[in-house]
Amino acid sequence: MTIAVEPNGMPRRQGNRIRRRLLDRVGESSGWIVVAIALGTLALALIYGPLIWLGVMSFSAQPLSGVPYPLTFTHYATLFSNDKWHTPFIKSVILGLMVALACMIVGTFLARALVRLKRPGGVLFVALLPLFVPGLTLGAALFIFLRTTLNLRLGMWSLFIGHMVWALPFALLLILIVTIRFDVKLIQAAEDLGAKPLRCFLDIELPLLMPGISGAGIFSFLLSFNELLRSTFLRGSETTMPVYNWAMASAQQSQVPIVFSLSTLILAITLPLMGGLFFILFARK
Amino acid sequence: MTAALAISSSPRRRWRLPGTATGWFTGWFLVIWIGVVVLPLLIISAFSFFSMRQYQIVYIPTLDTWNSLVETGRWVVVLRTIRFAVSVTFLEILVAFPFALWLAKGCRSDAVRAGVITLLTIPFFIDASSRIIVWRSILGTNGVINNLLVGSGIIDKPLTWLLYSDFSVSFGMFGSYFPTAVFPIFLTLSLIDDDLIKASSDLGGSRLQTLRFVILPLAMPGIVGGIVFTFVPLMAAWIEPQLLGGSQVNLLGQSIQSALTNLNYPIAAALSTVVIAVLVLMLAMLVVSLRGRFKISSLFQSLDS
Repeated sequence: MTIAVEPNGMPRRQGNRIRRRLLDRVGESSGWIVVAIALGTLALALIYGPLIWLGVMSFSAQPLSGVPYPLTFTHYATLFSNDKWHTPFIKSVILGLMVALACMIVGTFLARALVRLKRPGGVLFVALLPLFVPGLTLGAALFIFLRTTLNLRLGMWSLFIGHMVWALPFALLLILIVTIRFDVKLIQAAEDLGAKPLRCFLDIELPLLMPGISGAGIFSFLLSFNELLRSTFLRGSETTMPVYNWAMASAQQSQVPIVFSLSTLILAITLPLMGGLFFILFARK
Repeated sequence: MTAALAISSSPRRRWRLPGTATGWFTGWFLVIWIGVVVLPLLIISAFSFFSMRQYQIVYIPTLDTWNSLVETGRWVVVLRTIRFAVSVTFLEILVAFPFALWLAKGCRSDAVRAGVITLLTIPFFIDASSRIIVWRSILGTNGVINNLLVGSGIIDKPLTWLLYSDFSVSFGMFGSYFPTAVFPIFLTLSLIDDDLIKASSDLGGSRLQTLRFVILPLAMPGIVGGIVFTFVPLMAAWIEPQLLGGSQVNLLGQSIQSALTNLNYPIAAALSTVVIAVLVLMLAMLVVSLRGRFKISSLFQSLDS
């Protein structure tokens, strides 16, 4: 879904010139562009405004009031003296790492398989199907299947399945971008020079695919780390970080300030990381 | 599926060996994936035709659950959810289409485009509950907006309909599902050959005619995709109504959740089946709109360039 596309195969400079001429034809001066940008920016503001406000209010004495003053560091102090969030945090990190590793491996093999298939449509559709299913629905369905039908005790393993179902389609799409760009002639050349298939894969294919694979790893980790809807059903008695946040946020407890400062810290780490990563993936050619 | 699994015959025979290994891997993946995605969805649909007796599932087909949906008035929740989903989806597409058109065809700078795509992607990776709960401190009776309005003397008393209302829930939903509405439309618009737009205006088509007869038909799969990616998850939205609706707004997602918590599996299954039915219907629409317009391989080729 998140794929940068050049409209055609033209060199960029020529493409830009044509785009500029097109713009004149579509009507640069016409109002639609202004309206389009204004409404789009407003929508983006609806996403990012609250995030900024979250950061501001994490320093507020009363985070759920509308006034940031008086400013205070108390919530951060409470956060570091409170250790209730440590276990969920560590569990989320471990789970995220496992999901990331599994997504990188399965995604790589699947993407390599897809570009070699004559008709990849069917397989791709099945692989991407979870993207279309709402998290709550799939969570409930997996819960009924694993807990009620198979009568299994839920725990980290069921969380792992739920997170894999959510993260793998994204990982696959990212790795597909690099596998499609990969030139098969390179492998053929290596084989002509006497390289075995495993050597070809490890020495030639894998290094070239690595940007996509590592990107997929980071994406999968973050998707798993922040997953809430499926986790609420599949967690058994485990508590992950988003489940903990949710419990605090929905119960209107006094813990809410901690959630604010914790989320702010996590955002402060992940936002620049993601921003840089995405920019490299989309802007660099 | 066997047809899809056929390995492409490449010019060189040597490719056969990794080819068959690839085939095996794909086969196993499909079996497992169908087991954890499709099978659970089928099972939960089947559960809506069973009943509960003393906390035990009775595996005898019956329409009791569906009848009780009508009798207990839960179908009102379904209707209310559809109303929310339709209106928010409509607004999303209304805003997303022009924005995607600008992003795909109007935006001159590659850096700006990459930046906007980045901004649209990041929300997928952010913890939903902390993102949504902040709205309380913005929309609440002593929140930012009411403080500003009362402080500047525009109104005397704080507006109470801003939070815990249909308004706040729709507001939260709109932000959450904007990126999923933009991306499919953006993708199909990017795939439109600029020459087609040029040809249309060379042949004397007005801007509106070009939009109506060239751009819109070609972008239709993306628009349907945007509707699918917005409408279907909205049918099962849970975080927004729960955090921003208070107890005022009860939607399908909350009903499913509370039915599962109360171990009332058939009711939860029936309500989920409604969502799954909407999903299947929408996917069918998407497949029809995709048929004969774009091949998946052509999507790949455009990524390749």
